[in-house]
This record gives sequence, C-alpha cells and structure tokens, in this order.
Amino acid sequence: MTISGLGPHGERAAPPERVSLLPDDRTAAKSAGWRVAVVLHTLESDWAKQQLAGMMGIFGDCGAAVIDVVDCAFSPEMQVAELDRLISQRPDAILSLPVANEQVAAAHRRVSEAGITLVLLDNAPTGLLPGKDYTALVSSDNFGLGKIAAAGLSPHIPDGAKVGVLGFAADFFATNEREIAFNKWLQVNRPDILPRIHRFARIEDAATAADDLLSANPDLAGLFVVWDTPALAAATRLAERGATMAMATVDLGEAAAIALAQGDSFCCIAAQQPFLQGIAAAQTVILCLLGRPVPAWIALPGIGVTRDNVVESFQTIWRQPAPREVLRMMGLSRGK
Amino acid sequence: MNGRSPALIPFETHKDAALPLNGSDLSESSRPRGKGRPRTVETAAPSLVELLNLVRTGAANTRQELERQSEFGRAVVADRLTMLGDLGLVDESELGAATGGRAPRLVRFAARRAAILVATLDQTAIGVGVADLSGKLLTEHHEAADLTAPPAELSERLTALFRWSMERHAPQGSIWGISLSVPGAVQGATEGDFLTATPPVLPAWEGFPLVETLSRDFGVPVWMRSSVETMTMGELHAGAGIGARSMLFLKVGRRIGAGIVCDGQLYRGAHGAAGLIGSLPVNSGGRSGPLDTLAGSDMIQREGLSAAQDGRSPMLADIQRRGGEITAIEVSQAAQIGDPASVAILTESGHLIGQVVATLANALNPELIVLSGSIVQTNDILLAALREAVYGSSHPFVTRDLRIIRSQMGSSAGLVGAARVASEQLFAPAFLKEWVMQGSPLAHPAFTALKDRFSQTASPPPPPRARTGQELPR
Repeated sequence: MTISGLGPHGERAAPPERVSLLPDDRTAAKSAGWRVAVVLHTLESDWAKQQLAGMMGIFGDCGAAVIDVVDCAFSPEMQVAELDRLISQRPDAILSLPVANEQVAAAHRRVSEAGITLVLLDNAPTGLLPGKDYTALVSSDNFGLGKIAAAGLSPHIPDGAKVGVLGFAADFFATNEREIAFNKWLQVNRPDILPRIHRFARIEDAATAADDLLSANPDLAGLFVVWDTPALAAATRLAERGATMAMATVDLGEAAAIALAQGDSFCCIAAQQPFLQGIAAAQTVILCLLGRPVPAWIALPGIGVTRDNVVESFQTIWRQPAPREVLRMMGLSRGK
Repeated sequence: MNGRSPALIPFETHKDAALPLNGSDLSESSRPRGKGRPRTVETAAPSLVELLNLVRTGAANTRQELERQSEFGRAVVADRLTMLGDLGLVDESELGAATGGRAPRLVRFAARRAAILVATLDQTAIGVGVADLSGKLLTEHHEAADLTAPPAELSERLTALFRWSMERHAPQGSIWGISLSVPGAVQGATEGDFLTATPPVLPAWEGFPLVETLSRDFGVPVWMRSSVETMTMGELHAGAGIGARSMLFLKVGRRIGAGIVCDGQLYRGAHGAAGLIGSLPVNSGGRSGPLDTLAGSDMIQREGLSAAQDGRSPMLADIQRRGGEITAIEVSQAAQIGDPASVAILTESGHLIGQVVATLANALNPELIVLSGSIVQTNDILLAALREAVYGSSHPFVTRDLRIIRSQMGSSAGLVGAARVASEQLFAPAFLKEWVMQGSPLAHPAFTALKDRFSQTASPPPPPRARTGQELPR
C-alpha cells in the first residue's frame, strides 16, 4: 500500500522495513544496556496501549530498559515539565509524541541539545528539524487516513448535501493532515458536497462541538471526526438529539469497532496500525543509538475498515481477537 | 477559479488597509509640500525606518542602545518609539535585566503584528505555510501535486490551502504578503518591488495570471523567487548555514541547481539566473550531455528501471513485481539498504555532480556546501560520492576547512526562505519608508495603485505579458 502524504518538511516516506533490526543489531544493543523513556499524549486510549505494547517487545528483545512512561494528559504544560524532568535523569533516548506545536517545541529542542536521542511520534512541531532537533518522526500516513475516511463516507452522502468536519483545534500535524486530506478528497471527487468545519479544543468538548455544528447546520447528512474517541462522544450526543447520520473517523478502538459493527452510524473507519508503529519507533531508537542513519520520516499506511471487514481488520491491527460484542453483531459468535 | 472559490476579499474590509496614526490622515504625508518647513510626520519616516530596522534585526533592544546606534537624541527616539508602538510595530511591555539601576524596558519587534503566506511549487509537490513578520514559520503543510496539471487547478488548490492556513494561524486576516517559490528562474523580480504581473516561469503556465489572482484574492503584494534561491535563503537563515559568509547550496532533483551566498548575501546574478549548473556539459562512460540529463533524478529513475528489468537489481525487480512504481526515490532507498546496482547508479550521479561542484568550489572557496533534494534526503551514497569528487578535484586550500553536508530542512527550506524574502522586502528601507507612517504595507502607494487597477478591471485579471527570453529551468 502506498503512502499518499508527505512528511512535516515535505519528506517522502520511508517504509517501516527500512528500520528493520538484524540479529547483529540486537546483539550489539543488548551489550549496551540503554535506558529509554516514553512520553505519550495519553495512556488511556487503545491506540496508546498498542503503541506501547509494540515498543516494549522490541526494547525487551534489545535489552533496553524503559525507565519511565509518561502520560501527558494532552497538556502542553505537563509535557514541558516532564521532558525537563526526564532530561535531568539522562536517559539515552526519549520517544515523544508532542501534544502541541509551538508550546512544546523548545522543550523538545532541549532534549536533543542535552545529547539525548529524540524520536518523535505522529507530530513534529513547526521549526524542529530532523537530524538537528530530533532524529526521526514515526507516524501513520495521516493524509492517507483522511482520504480513506472521505472515500468511505462519500457513498452515504446524497448529491449536494452538507457534511460536517469536526477537527481538532490544537495545531497538530496528524490531525491537520487528516482534515486537509478529507476536504481535498471531497473537493476533487465530490465537489457537490458542502463541508462545514468546526473544531473542538479538548475531547470533553467534542460532544458540544458536534451539537453546535448540528445546530448551525440542521441538514447535515454526514460527519467526519478526526479520531475515534471524540467521534464516539459526538455520535452519542447526536443520537440523544435524535439525529442519525453517516459517520467516518480514524482509529479502530474497541468501542469504535463495536459501533461500526452495530451499523447505526459509523460507516467507515480509517485505521492506523499502532502496534506496528510502536515496533517501528522502537527499532528507530535502537538504530539511532547504534549510530546507524535513519530516514527523517517513517510512515505506515492506513487500513480502510467497514462493517464487512471489521473482524479481520481488528485482528490485523490489534493482534488480538475482535471484541465478543463485535463477533456477536456480525453473527460469528452465538454466546453471551 | 470556479464557482466554489471563496469570494474576493474587498480591500476596504482589510483592517490594516489604512491605519491612521493618532486619528490623523497621514496618507497625505507622501505628497510633496509646496513650501514651508516639512511637517513632523514627513521628517519622521527616515528615523522610523532606521529605528524599526535596528529593533527588527536585533541590533538594538533598549532605548539606550537605539540612541547609541542611531545617534538620534533621546527625545527623537522616545517620540518615534511611541509612534511605532501606536502603529503596533514594536512592543515595550517586557523588562530586561537590570545592570545596576532600574531594569530597562526591552524594545521588541512585533513580529506577530501580521503574517506572511508562503508556498513552494515543485515538480511533484506543493507546500504552504504561514510565517510571522520575522520570517519564522508558524505552520507548514506539504502534499503531492503534479506541476504539469492545468495552472488553474494548482492555483485553486493553493488558494484553498492558503485559506485553510489563514483560518488556523491568522484568524484576524492580517496578511501582509504572499511569497512564492517556483521551479524556475524568476525574471523581472527586482529588489524591493513586489510583482504586478506573473513573470514567465514555466511553459505550461504561460498566460495564467497566478500573481494577479493571488494578489487580487488576498489583497496583498506577491513576491516570487526560484526554488533554489528560496531554499538557499532558508538554509542560510534557519538551517545549516546560519552565520555562514560563503555557502554553496545544491538542489538535486530532475534539475540540478546551485544557490550562491557571498558575504552573507544571496547572489542572484543579472537576471536571477545565477547557479544554473544543470546545463553544464559532463562526460560519463563515453556519453556526454548536460549534468541534468546525466546525473538528475530522471537518469536515476531510468537506470533503476533498466536494472530492475535486466536482473541487475533483484530488489527493484521485486518492487516492480509487487506493482510498485520505481522512481528515483525507490532507487535511492534501495541503494541505502545495500542494493549493489542502485549503489552504482547513485555513485555515478554523485561523482558527476561533484566534478561540477568542485569547479564552483575552486572559483568561490565556500566554507560550506549543503546538498538538498528528495534523493539526497533518502540517501547517503550520493553525498559520499559527491564528497569524494569535490575533495579529489579541488585545491587543498579550498577543501582545508570545507564542510559538505546534507540539508536537514527538506522542503521547509523553501518555505522558510520564501518567508525571509517577503520579510526582507517588506522592511527594505526604500520600501518601508513609503508605508511605515501608515502602519501597513497595504497602504504603500504602489500597492494602492495596483489595487485601484484591479478594481477598475473586470475579473479575471489580464493575462501576463507575452513570454520573452528562454526558459531557465532549475
């Protein structure tokens, strides 16, 4: 599957195979005994848990000790404070998902200035440069995810109808790419559809934002939300208002998979591969610490998930069986 | 533009369009007076220009430093800073460190007073960004694009991305300029002037009024430079070239071009066409031709395809068998992970480019050579081969302290450089003195004249003048 987006500085994507570890690499890493820290936006989501699971396996195989896993709770202030705290602990590498743009750029720069290898996940604050301020960015093809969502939603939208786009107000590379790509796909392939954009600043505000969007546009025929947790909150609020519409989002979390299998509102989910992304990120760290050159941007393709392929997609992405509720709704399990 | 394009922004609705100073109509000040002593506002412009640029460039950041550097008296400095503060161009709210007495107030350039929209148009990609008035990028986005597509389509996409970027980063609509980086030498772009018509850049764009469309739609002046020039500016001001007095910047893609920095300034040549090294003849394996043809990405792609088909490269053949397209990027990535045929192709390209660069290095004696372009980004082999050729063919004095490195900025260099072009042009003394009293470049007499011309012209704006001169690929 090809990568349709470009990196934060216009880079072409390198595939995750480019950072594969050879047996010699693992042996060399084991004898080094590195200390690594992980700084994530949240530890609550299924996505974050799978990322960590992917990373931990590789770090374990390579004898690297993960000395801290930080939950920033989406707070730029907390992330800045935590990065400064970690710098004082002098790990060999930090894997970080910057939760904002300008507010956290300087703190990330301080990590690399302290001589600590910095690998970014999903987001590169504007102005930070690979090779200078960070080593590499590992992310999904977020532009591709936006396109998948638009293509999946399109068949459910009548000619000339309005579609709501619920974006993330924070300036964040991944969600910006999804929103831009979703709109571009519509502009090119369904110019009859009228997008109506509204943004939420915090997950807790997503339901209210959906409310506002619907109040301003009572004739909405569909909705795209830039990731699954706020999408589920928006879907619940819309259902409470008695408004059902075709919805698309990004990330096949457990609850989103159930909602997709239910078939009431979600018609398409553009799924990331967080487990594989975690593996690629950890491998990138190991290669950097071994002094091997790595690409500036390593990207993983997204997977288009509909009700028809939700079970096998769940297994592919999460490396575990689909939730029993999903299996039951799909008629594959008869137990309670 | 089709019917879905946003409506034109009326110039009158721009909040910056004619900002009066202390309630008085200062647009009068640009008119010559018949007799008598000049009024204060007329004499203020040169000192305002000088003081603003001292603050903007960081040469002075307290009133005392401004008095010392400008040699203006305390009262003049105080008066002009009040005026600049009222115009929103400087900010004195921050306190500096005390050195014995009271802590001085810091005088800061109000770089967020307005924003600059920047874009790069490449053969295969389009990039957009928003920068502050100091040229610092606030956001950027890059996406794949086909430069051979109809220019109206590209223009529409550019406009859509500009609108999206403005909504996120300049919600007040205070945009002071657009700066474009294009894949060709830009003729007719003289220093200190914005463009009033689209210069001839690419044959496919002939007759399409890109500059006029953007200037009219966004109500701001437009600047344009070649991609090599903007990338060189970006590398010089925000990348590996910070502080460099002499630098060679090389962009390797379908075309191979060089940006030249002498005494800390970009050297553009007589017609903005300096550094067109891709047309220089080279010899390779009994073949001779231009450097572009024998070492550019078209050659790398062509040779990669050939290696996949004749069995020399199982790795590239495998990509092809799986339905993947082989471009120069795939060949570069295959070389990076050790595919012998791909390594040979990249080495050949690096040696040929290195031969030409060695000649330039001997002529210019740069302290730094920066290599850029998507092939270079994905590959170290080309860089190694180029280093070998330059070090092997240059005078020892030239290579004694010479650093040859890969750019870390990617396409950001073009956006950052485009932002620097606009910020330098907006605040160039000759340009600045015409608008500083009004507090906004949108009130510059030449720009208001252009707006008048647009308002008298039925949409769409007139096509640019006919192309003259030869296309200068970069």
